[in-house]
Amino acid sequence: MNPDERAPILEAIGISKSYGRRLALDNVTLGVRPGEIAGLLGPNGAGKTTTLSILSTVLRPDSGRVLIQGQPPAADPRGLCRMLGLVPQSLALYPTLSAAQNVWHFARVQGLSRAEASKSCAQVLREVGLDDRADDPMHSFSGGLKRRLNLACGIVHRPAILLLDEPTVGVDLQSREQILALVRRRADAGAGVIYSTHYMEEAERLCDRVLLIDRGRLIADGSVDELISLGGGRPRMELTYRGQLPAEWPESFAGVREIAPAGGEGIATLEMASLAQVRDVIQQLQASGVRVIDFSLHSPNLSDAFIALTGRTLRDNSQEAV
Amino acid sequence: MLRAIWLTIQNEARLLLKDPIVLFMLLLAPVVIIAVAGYSLGNLYGNANALQLPLVDLDRGEVATGIVDALRREHSVALELVNNPDEARRMVSRRDRTPLAIEIPAGTSEAVAAGGEAHLILFVDPVRRIEVNALELRIGELCRKVTASAQARAQTRLAASRSDLQKKLQSLAAAIKQEQAQVRQQMEQTQAKVTASVHAQTAAVLERAGEDTKAIVTARENQAFADVKGQLSSREAILRDIQNYLLELKTSQRAFEDWLTLLKAKAGSHASDIPAPPGFPAPPSDAELAALAKPITLPAIDPSMPSTLAPEMFSVSIPKLPSIRDGDLLGELAHFRIAQVPTLPGGLGLFEQPATRGGAVVVNAFDQYVPGFGVTFLLIGMLLGISLTVFDEREWGTLKRMQVSGAPLAGLLLGKLIARFGVGTVQMILLFAVGWALFGISLGREPVALLLPMIGISFAAASFGLVIAAVARAHDSVMPLGAVTSMAMSAIGGCWWPLDFEPGWMRAVARCLPTTWTMQSFNDLMIRDLSVSAVMWPFVATVGLGIIYLAAGIVAMLSLGE
Repeated sequence: MNPDERAPILEAIGISKSYGRRLALDNVTLGVRPGEIAGLLGPNGAGKTTTLSILSTVLRPDSGRVLIQGQPPAADPRGLCRMLGLVPQSLALYPTLSAAQNVWHFARVQGLSRAEASKSCAQVLREVGLDDRADDPMHSFSGGLKRRLNLACGIVHRPAILLLDEPTVGVDLQSREQILALVRRRADAGAGVIYSTHYMEEAERLCDRVLLIDRGRLIADGSVDELISLGGGRPRMELTYRGQLPAEWPESFAGVREIAPAGGEGIATLEMASLAQVRDVIQQLQASGVRVIDFSLHSPNLSDAFIALTGRTLRDNSQEAV
Repeated sequence: MLRAIWLTIQNEARLLLKDPIVLFMLLLAPVVIIAVAGYSLGNLYGNANALQLPLVDLDRGEVATGIVDALRREHSVALELVNNPDEARRMVSRRDRTPLAIEIPAGTSEAVAAGGEAHLILFVDPVRRIEVNALELRIGELCRKVTASAQARAQTRLAASRSDLQKKLQSLAAAIKQEQAQVRQQMEQTQAKVTASVHAQTAAVLERAGEDTKAIVTARENQAFADVKGQLSSREAILRDIQNYLLELKTSQRAFEDWLTLLKAKAGSHASDIPAPPGFPAPPSDAELAALAKPITLPAIDPSMPSTLAPEMFSVSIPKLPSIRDGDLLGELAHFRIAQVPTLPGGLGLFEQPATRGGAVVVNAFDQYVPGFGVTFLLIGMLLGISLTVFDEREWGTLKRMQVSGAPLAGLLLGKLIARFGVGTVQMILLFAVGWALFGISLGREPVALLLPMIGISFAAASFGLVIAAVARAHDSVMPLGAVTSMAMSAIGGCWWPLDFEPGWMRAVARCLPTTWTMQSFNDLMIRDLSVSAVMWPFVATVGLGIIYLAAGIVAMLSLGE
């Protein structure tokens, strides 16, 4: 069955959350269906972690509700919540316990019997490539291994819903590939996955659907292609220069506009009407005495869509994560 | 270089001011500990509130009055007269600031007045040994003062009596000396008269007795002579008869021989036909021969002497002895009225008895320190252990991950608490086992009963650890807050020193701490040797406080948005 035809296995309906006077989530509605990977994409501080915390029932929203298989978690807290598997952004592990002990503990907490836990632990450690390090204490692992163990602890009970909060932050390429492959396999096996990330490339590669979130608001919800098209599908040029830009620049070029300066002084990002305008822009700058040190061109992608929707880049680190 | 130093100093100051934990450890923590120790131990340095001192006066005599008056003047104690020893014992066992009670036994005053040894009975609480010792010193000093005062009074009276006695004795000695001379003279006169009289009478009696004896002896000799003479005459007659016979026999014999010869000559061949010869005259009879043979017996002379020395022969009259002047001597003695000699008062000692029957009056110091420091380190371990692991789990995210499973936060916290509670209980059991093996601590009459305070304090400490976790708010705050709280609770709760050292307000605060009830339980079981029933209420109080802490901790943790 096509995932789109299935009822959402996890839904958030109109959820809002404030921390003091700061509104972290503002009337967000989203959902994920079985077998679907929904990417929760947004810059740091956009509200991704808050959203996942509410979806995982750890945090109570100020308003709105969460439904798991169409039911509020309170209807069957143990049964419904055990359908959830949370892989938090921080390493939610016991440093002094071995990998096997960590996985075993969370398997038991999630309600598996001893026999099920033994079997599932061995299997999941194999899946994440830690079976040969099962008896080593977690604190002796590298960052990538820790991330893999963190993932193993979240999926050991084979949850129907996986909530992954930036699971690849700070990991090596090999670990990242293993994690992404594992998530894909779980989705293919029927799990609904919400994958929070600020890596646009991961979202484009992995997610069936992307939820763009910014400043606590869900600003777009659709497939990767749909969102890219929302951004207008126009090429983007990043310039590195030295000198004083002309006063009327770049409005003097039809269809060219400067996106909020993300790289600081000496760097500019321009949205172009067409690739043909690149040469004209560089020539004008040189004619104005500005020295162009470097420039790059980008095809339209989710980042462009985000920029188009918010006027800001995805990698805006000016705000702390929530 | 100087600039670098100056900038570093400035930065260090900024860091210091920005770090509340360091400021806490630098200022507030020592102030808290100093305040607790200062208030608690202030009594040792003379800032004492008066100790309660129940007194049972069963004597109601001079000594008791003296002691009561002296104790009433003593500022360090508040005297309270009670009716019976049992009430006094109960007050010592159950009331604060009442380390001992005094019983003045009946007859104490009489015993002391008679010069005997009397004792005040002190009902002591061995748990409050230090206060007991301090009070005993004061009471002992009072006893010494009371007896010394009585002895001084007696000494004065004794000196007066001695002087009076000396005078009387001197007077008496002179009278006796005079009487002795008089008696000696009269005795000598009497002796001379008696001697002369006896000599005269003896001589007269002896002379008369000699004469009588001589006459009797002569008469008896004459009688004996006549008797012997008669016997000799009789035998002489017999001898003459025998002599005649023998002569006749001799004549007959010759005639016979002649006849026979003639006969034989004539008979010839017929000699055998000769008839028998004629007979001889008859000899003296046997009786005559026996009388002749009979020895001559001397006549018996009566050996008895006439009793001429009859008592009535002596009539010695002893002259009348001179009369002693007894009337004078009795008169002197009658005047010899010695004032009543005072007896030196006896000593007044102290005799300790345990306030609780069956208990001891001397304590093994480890009976106090093993539970005291055991509870302290249990608190430190539990407060830090619980709160740090809660923070760790919060920081690691493991708590959140477990919550995702639908497990309620309260359940997770309770699980953590129960695990730590078990560890704490085992820790206490091991500490007591070591204390028993190494230091010989008392386990009381029911060692199993010790489990009650152990369980109670482990539960309360674990629960309070949750409160610390909620209050500390940050991992780095746990250590100073937990350490200071543990030490303050231990100190105020009587783990380090007796509760009675503390001022009243601090003892009131102590009632709200589980350490107080726990130490009371350990003291009751180990030192006062009470039964398990004595620690039921403290156990309930400790667990009750633990439940309050637990509820407060869980509510606080939930309110923190866990």
